[in-house]
Amino acid sequence: MIGIDAKIKRGSGELAILALLEQEPLHGYEISKRIAQVTGGVLQFNLASLYPLLYRMEKRGWVKGKWEEAKSGRKRRLYHLTRAGKKQLAPLRAEWGSFFQALDRIAGVAHAG
Amino acid sequence: MPDNQRLVKERLGELRLLPGREDEILRELAEHLEDHASALVARGVVSEEAACEALNSVSDWPELRREIVLAETEETTMNYRTKVLWLPAFCTFTLSMLLLALLQITGFRPRFYWLDRGLFIPFYVPWLLALPIIGAVAAFWLQRAGGRVSHRVFVSLAPPIIWLGIMLIMLLLALVIDRHVPFSFKLEGLLTYTVAWVLAPSLALFLGAVPFLRKRQPQA
Repeated sequence: MIGIDAKIKRGSGELAILALLEQEPLHGYEISKRIAQVTGGVLQFNLASLYPLLYRMEKRGWVKGKWEEAKSGRKRRLYHLTRAGKKQLAPLRAEWGSFFQALDRIAGVAHAG
Repeated sequence: MPDNQRLVKERLGELRLLPGREDEILRELAEHLEDHASALVARGVVSEEAACEALNSVSDWPELRREIVLAETEETTMNYRTKVLWLPAFCTFTLSMLLLALLQITGFRPRFYWLDRGLFIPFYVPWLLALPIIGAVAAFWLQRAGGRVSHRVFVSLAPPIIWLGIMLIMLLLALVIDRHVPFSFKLEGLLTYTVAWVLAPSLALFLGAVPFLRKRQPQA
């Protein structure tokens, strides 16, 4: 499994969380599980790395946490994508797209492995 | 199942966030640990071991605490400080000045405590007697807003702190402008001003604030 540097992880984590929440509201544990599943474990967020990121995004108004009853009957804090979060998603996608294109041009990372 | 919220609280310590928010975070982190442990149990891990492993997934709790506090405050540092420091300090100062103005308008005159060489210290006794209430209100406000003890002291003592600043500026100006006035006279004036407008009000405000300077008891 490839280790990802913490700063890159944080930046990419914002994009990953916004993209997941665009599909449906999720609680913290579900977010970390989905990220690990979708990325095949390359990106992994545990409690310590996920929640500071979520709280920062909430402060910025990109996501909004609400206590809601889950299917299990337990109350969970579900994160919803806000209008500001939706607006943020497109530029973040473009930014990371440009970043990987640039890396590809200089190091051929898209063809590596 | 273990009381995850208590375990998280023990490891994280006091976050010093606004009331309610801290409990919400502890509850959310506890829920996450419970989910993590349940997932491990589903994979065949013994319940106690699963709970322990979930808790140990956080290797550095003080770092997590620091990260959460940063996340909760860095984006709104100005707002937070405004909320628990500058705005209450400004209100305490304004309230004390309005009270003083009101007393003067209604005819209250200061009592003069005369010293040698024509120097005197003015004491607005009713005003000084009312200042503990203002100090109490300020400290109570900060306690409710989740302000630290140091914030509560600062906000309660905001009026004399501001007067001290004004006094120092005036002293500096007097040193430059009134060169013909002896320095010793300026110093004596400064000392009487300090007693009347800084020390006595500080004592009165602090007395009012004292009951609200104890640390908030953590909520169960």
